[in-house]
Amino acid sequence: MSRYDVVVIGAGLAGLTTACQLAQAQKKVLLVSTGGGALLLASGCIDVLGFQPATSKQPVTDPLGKLDAFLAEAPDHPYNIVGKANVQTGIETFWEIIHNSTALEYWGAADKNWLLPSAAGAVHPTCLAPTSLANGELTKGGKMLIVGFRELRDFYPALITQNLNEQDLGVEAASSVINAPEPLAKNMNITPLELAKAFERSDFRRKVVQSLQGQSKQFNRIGFPAVLGLKQHAEVLADLERMLGKTVFEISTLPPSVPGRRLFEGLKASFLQAGGRLIIGSKVVEGLIENGRVSQIQMETANRLRPLTAENYVLATGGIYGGGIQTDLDGQVWEPIFGLPVESDSNRHTWFSERFLSNAGQPVSQYGIQVNEKLNPVDSNKTPIAENLFIAGATIAGADWTRGRTGDGLALATAATITKQIA
Amino acid sequence: MKKSTEVLVIGGGVTGCGVLFDLAQRGFKCILLERGGLSMGTSGRFHGLLHSGGRYVTNDPDAARECIEENMILRKVMPHAIEDTGGLFVTTPWDPPEFADKFYQACLNVGIPVEEISISECLRREPLLNPDISRAFTVPDGSVETWEACQTLTENAAAYGAETLTYHQVVDILVENNKVVGAVAKNTVNGEEVTIEADLVVSAAGAWGGKIAAMAGCDVTVYAGKGTMIAMNYRMVNTVVNRCLPPDDGDILVPIGSVAVIGTTSVRVENPDSYAIEDWEIKLMMDEGEKLVPSFKKFRALRAWAGVRPLYQEKSAGMDLRDVTRKYALLDHTPHDGVDNFVTITGGKWTTYRMMAEDTVDLVCKKLGTERPCRTAETTLDPPHGQQKFFKLTQRLEKLEKGELDGQLICECEIVTRPQIEENLKDNDWNIINDLRRDLRVGMGPCQGGFCTYRVAGIMHDNKNLSAKQTNKALVDFLQERWKGMRTVLWGRHLRQMKLDEGIYMGLLGLDKLPNELSGNDQARIGEVETEGFYEIEPDAAELSTAAK
Repeated sequence: MSRYDVVVIGAGLAGLTTACQLAQAQKKVLLVSTGGGALLLASGCIDVLGFQPATSKQPVTDPLGKLDAFLAEAPDHPYNIVGKANVQTGIETFWEIIHNSTALEYWGAADKNWLLPSAAGAVHPTCLAPTSLANGELTKGGKMLIVGFRELRDFYPALITQNLNEQDLGVEAASSVINAPEPLAKNMNITPLELAKAFERSDFRRKVVQSLQGQSKQFNRIGFPAVLGLKQHAEVLADLERMLGKTVFEISTLPPSVPGRRLFEGLKASFLQAGGRLIIGSKVVEGLIENGRVSQIQMETANRLRPLTAENYVLATGGIYGGGIQTDLDGQVWEPIFGLPVESDSNRHTWFSERFLSNAGQPVSQYGIQVNEKLNPVDSNKTPIAENLFIAGATIAGADWTRGRTGDGLALATAATITKQIA
Repeated sequence: MKKSTEVLVIGGGVTGCGVLFDLAQRGFKCILLERGGLSMGTSGRFHGLLHSGGRYVTNDPDAARECIEENMILRKVMPHAIEDTGGLFVTTPWDPPEFADKFYQACLNVGIPVEEISISECLRREPLLNPDISRAFTVPDGSVETWEACQTLTENAAAYGAETLTYHQVVDILVENNKVVGAVAKNTVNGEEVTIEADLVVSAAGAWGGKIAAMAGCDVTVYAGKGTMIAMNYRMVNTVVNRCLPPDDGDILVPIGSVAVIGTTSVRVENPDSYAIEDWEIKLMMDEGEKLVPSFKKFRALRAWAGVRPLYQEKSAGMDLRDVTRKYALLDHTPHDGVDNFVTITGGKWTTYRMMAEDTVDLVCKKLGTERPCRTAETTLDPPHGQQKFFKLTQRLEKLEKGELDGQLICECEIVTRPQIEENLKDNDWNIINDLRRDLRVGMGPCQGGFCTYRVAGIMHDNKNLSAKQTNKALVDFLQERWKGMRTVLWGRHLRQMKLDEGIYMGLLGLDKLPNELSGNDQARIGEVETEGFYEIEPDAAELSTAAK
């Protein structure tokens, strides 16, 4: 007899949302992950389709509407397998989870992209965004002041504003760098997380607002690096807006990402609240496939391997970055838990393109697990390898997010596809 | 623009810089032309080894003798640019056991201070070395900071009135009646041409010496011998470790800065500006590294690069590069080609640059009919800006922990602070992040610029009044430059690191979507980095050099 209905491996966006949905559908779910997942490094927004064609510099405004055109050019992208309807369901379900079971607020819909400023001053097209980031919407125009802290080395307001202004986006941006108040004053090596915690103190906020007095008057909106509180983010944002009398927005910074952390914590809490069981810090090292089914997986604990069994298993270990796909010097590419087949070229020369910033994606990033419509792994004859194993997100072949900025949309679409089958 | 001088030196590698200083100290008016930054060619693309001569002692004793003599002199004249790591020659199970005695005797014959130590002593000094080593000898190898050295030489030359023009590429050598009378150089940053009249021209262009000589109608054959090296993410030894065998691929491991460098291969290439780093070279280095340090492959290979050794051959024959002497060649083109006032210095080793410069300037004196003694072997050079360089990361870390390192930590891997960067930017006309890398090691650590490149670009933008486009371009160029070195060694954890960097620069920052096309004056302010592209991974070049091997 199985102890769990489902074991989900991986705590990125795909793993967490799948686990949340299944737990909310009264399934007994265990989520196991080696660490915090890629959300902690991401912008905290949900990118579904940002550029079409992928090489275009013009952002997509209607992601769902442009999806067919994108897929026509990228037939190997797994959006083709899950289909447009699941992309839409994925986005809607995510919004419902956030809205119904977390303290976070996300805004947007599948047919509209927000156009938000990046920490370099580029336009970041994204489908769903938390309030504080969505407040930075560039098409709203007007005058914005972007504020940095001398103590924070990961945010350069002058560069951001100049890039924004030179792209003629309809906003007029100006920059200001202020000294962080106590207790962070003159602490030159603070991280965004330390700053976020300091913002949860009202005296800190008040002093920040004081430093901006006289500067902020002529602006419609005031932008900060994304450090406006962690757990009490909503209160921090509301308080700043009240004191400044302006709309306040955030811009995502270099990792560790505070909005990413908020989303991770939100989804985690939602999963636990729905009765899910969570183990972060343990590694699933092996999975056994017998007679077309996963019969058992082995989890590494402090002193021994612990076998786990479930009706269904979801593999959401990410791609190369997440560790779901491994590579070595000899050009081998493999999936480390189940040893699922990965089609790849052992000549490492073919893994990369000439340019680092390649919009077409690095060839090596396309390596992954081949799946069928149910998202079961398949072999080279398209025969399912294990009918109770489902692959989510970046582990799937062709799921490279750099192509059109599609990573989050795929995570949610695969979560929706899998949930439908095992909920 | 026109300039005139007594002696014009072509090439800003260590040889050219050494010649410039020697000339200046002997009272010559002189100018140096370099097409890129200082030490950007072969001098900046080796493993950083200050030879004791042990490497050449059995097959090229003359070169070995030069190495040990110069090694001892350089320790005195530029101590700030040299780390006294000491060197070991070790016999691993893969090395011919009979070679050790031959090596020892040859060292004694040449005069290299050599001492055999017990295996337990060897392992006490370097615990990660292969415990199956059967013999171990100490020699006075060291490691050099080449950028520091070249800057030292040009700054000390400047004190005597010498001028150094970087980012100036020689496009023509002026010859009148079989006499060289100067050269024309193009400023690669703003495109301006400079004509420099000179009584005599010294070509110290290394592997490019043949091309320069051809501009003066002279025939010089310099083979370009490519050597590929890999920097590992960990300083796994504190001593230079050599395999005790005749010179071979992957036989040297050099600790330098916070990393250890394994090198090298030796492959003849046709074009010193375009050659490939090949997979077999990477695999071979990794395999050879494993023989010296059994856990070698567990560390991360950060970056691979190749340099081209200038190997002079009197007649263009013979293919085995390891048999071409590492001694240098000084050519007086009057008897050689019937062209007056022109001298080529090429070949040799980094370690012997001073001796090469001395010989060259002696010849210059003779040709110009003057007698002025060389003093470079007795002159201790002033460090650039009077600054002390810290070789080991731990030294910088100690300073940081004691609170002696002020300001914001911008490059966390290499411990480089904001004030250091701002100071460097002040002294620097170019807005090339790569120049900061050479001076400060920004971006050379395990993350290969993942975090600090954005920070450096932001600081550069704020401090130098760059336009946004110029900053975007500087950022893209630097990342691309790092990419060239990284992509040959991307697998495993380092590949994951690359995916993180990709996430930062594309996903978070959207750098690929920002405008960075520069034109006209904008372009001039940013400078070109194309001289950096000495190695290109092209299938054609790869086939070519494999065929040559």
